[in-house]
Amino acid sequence: MAMYDGLFSVFGLKEWCDSNTTTGPMTMAELLAKSAGKADGAEVVTPFLETPFPSLDTLNKSCSAFPRTRDMTAWVEDGFLGIKDGLKYVLDPLTQPLSWALDGSLIFFEAIPWFVLIPALMAITYYTSRSISVMLLVMFSFLFMAFIDHYDRAIQTLSIIFVCTFICVLLGVPIGIAMSKNDRLQRITIPILDMLQTLPTFVYLIPLIFLFSVTESKLYGIAIILYAIVPVVRLTDLGIRLVDKDVIEAADAFGMTSRQKLLGVQIPLALPNIMAGVNQTIMMSLAMVVIASLVSAPGLGVLVLRGIRSLELGVGLVSGFCIVLLAVLLDRATKAALSRLNNTVEQ
Amino acid sequence: MRRLLIAAAFGLALPAAASAADCGEVTLTEMNWASSAVVSHVSKFLMEQGYGCKVKLIPSSTVPALASVAETGKPDIVTELWINGAPSYNELQAAGKIETLTDVLSDGGVEGWWIPTYLVKAHPELASIEGVLANPGLLENRFHNCPEGWGCLRTNTALSQAFDLKGNGFEIFQHGSGETMATSIAAAYESKKPWFGYYWAPTSVLGKYDMTSVDLGPYDEKIHACNSKPGCEEVGKSSYPVGPVKTIVTTEFSTKHPEISALMKNVSFTNAQMGALLSWQEEKKASAEEVAVHFLSTSPDVWKGWINEEAAGKLSALLK
Repeated sequence: MAMYDGLFSVFGLKEWCDSNTTTGPMTMAELLAKSAGKADGAEVVTPFLETPFPSLDTLNKSCSAFPRTRDMTAWVEDGFLGIKDGLKYVLDPLTQPLSWALDGSLIFFEAIPWFVLIPALMAITYYTSRSISVMLLVMFSFLFMAFIDHYDRAIQTLSIIFVCTFICVLLGVPIGIAMSKNDRLQRITIPILDMLQTLPTFVYLIPLIFLFSVTESKLYGIAIILYAIVPVVRLTDLGIRLVDKDVIEAADAFGMTSRQKLLGVQIPLALPNIMAGVNQTIMMSLAMVVIASLVSAPGLGVLVLRGIRSLELGVGLVSGFCIVLLAVLLDRATKAALSRLNNTVEQ
Repeated sequence: MRRLLIAAAFGLALPAAASAADCGEVTLTEMNWASSAVVSHVSKFLMEQGYGCKVKLIPSSTVPALASVAETGKPDIVTELWINGAPSYNELQAAGKIETLTDVLSDGGVEGWWIPTYLVKAHPELASIEGVLANPGLLENRFHNCPEGWGCLRTNTALSQAFDLKGNGFEIFQHGSGETMATSIAAAYESKKPWFGYYWAPTSVLGKYDMTSVDLGPYDEKIHACNSKPGCEEVGKSSYPVGPVKTIVTTEFSTKHPEISALMKNVSFTNAQMGALLSWQEEKKASAEEVAVHFLSTSPDVWKGWINEEAAGKLSALLK
């Protein structure tokens, strides 16, 4: 009766088809047909142009033993649930330090009183950027956020970004260096990096909840790190590959070992690029703040979600503005540090 | 297959062309949970096939749907509206902007604090709140609370103060989203671990996983009203009332299309009916539309009473 009936008869699979059936429920099209009063027996020839693609669901109509797409997704689900315990055994202890780091950093940042932390942040900014204007921007931003009672949330967000960026650099720079040394590794890694940036976060976060407890802070840590690690890896790789061939030749002429070359020549010369990667990593982890709050990350993202959900437009707009403010000052501070670095490299 | 496609095309085109002038375009909400999607798809079919409307389903949820009705007068019909979680409902009702048609879930929605049934079987004392408070260790010392921005967050926070969950050794964990709440139940169930927290029915989660509602004692209207208000000073102990779940329509639409209002006034499911549909959906891994088809094709005697004679004539092929 259906389109591909002939296919199964040709291969002599008719018996197998009828042996175990997995027919789907009635579809809307079938119901509408029934409603329109068409008799069941009347066969209508399919016009050539409307030949359906032989997909799982279409084939199932001809051969009810054929799995449907929803059976296929059910297998994927069962497969995951089957290997869940093994995965948990490996991944849970491996990622535990991330939870400790995130929780510890939150406790640490929240324990410091505001009148110590704000000057400390100003001092750090000045030390890295040597720029009075950036330091003043940091001061006024934090005083403003403290004045409108968003200081605690902002510090929580800052603490999460601090830990995640640190881990991104810790993992991303060595990966980038390895990629620059090995073309094959680069070819393998780049598609993975592309995937990390495009895969919708919840697609891997929901399975992760089956592996770890939903209350673990590493859940949002993983979400942020997987997304934000990409630029630092890419730009480290690029930076080292862009180091002038003549300089490498000179280093070889001096009889430098490859370790000396890496630490003394390549990394220092690639530093502006690496720092640009770090800057982008910070920006991208900030972009993940709201998504992270969907898996219980504290901070400004929670306020944004509250604003959206209960339609408190003001709450949403103000906390969104605070995230932008954090982004601007982190960007200015790292950019100022970067340009100072560029100047030293050029000298 | 071909026959079906042609029939489908005719089935869609003919009634729409014949009586589009009578009904026109109707916007109907489809809330982002399972039971609402079923109600919306069933209503859509009846309106399109029986009354010649052109129905557009608007994906939405409680608060945004009402805000949209208040500001723009659209969508025309909001169905499965849990009015406990929608404070603006009373204002709109008083202002005459909306008309309440019916309780779309006639038994009402059930909210509460839940524990997996396998755990209650192993430890019967956990069925009441006293037993829960005495045994925090059996429940991983954790209470799963609603995410920021949900109406239930306030009530749960007030109740957790009234029952002194913290003092009894419970950590209150606030979820970031409804998705993680549902997943945490599923994850606990898959590894037969404890879970204790807020949820509501009918939902596909509670349809799929057998959970027991913890007895929170009697319901007290006054205490509950205070608990669910922001800044309630005298929090008290009260269980959740059965939540009315309504279908509403904008007054403007209702005056123009009384026949559609009359239809939607009749569209109503008991919890047993809806529960059966949702577990069928779970078993078949079916889409909301397929559940609607299943309902329409297997229970014509139920929806026969919902439609007027003209529509019954159009749908006679399904009714015999």
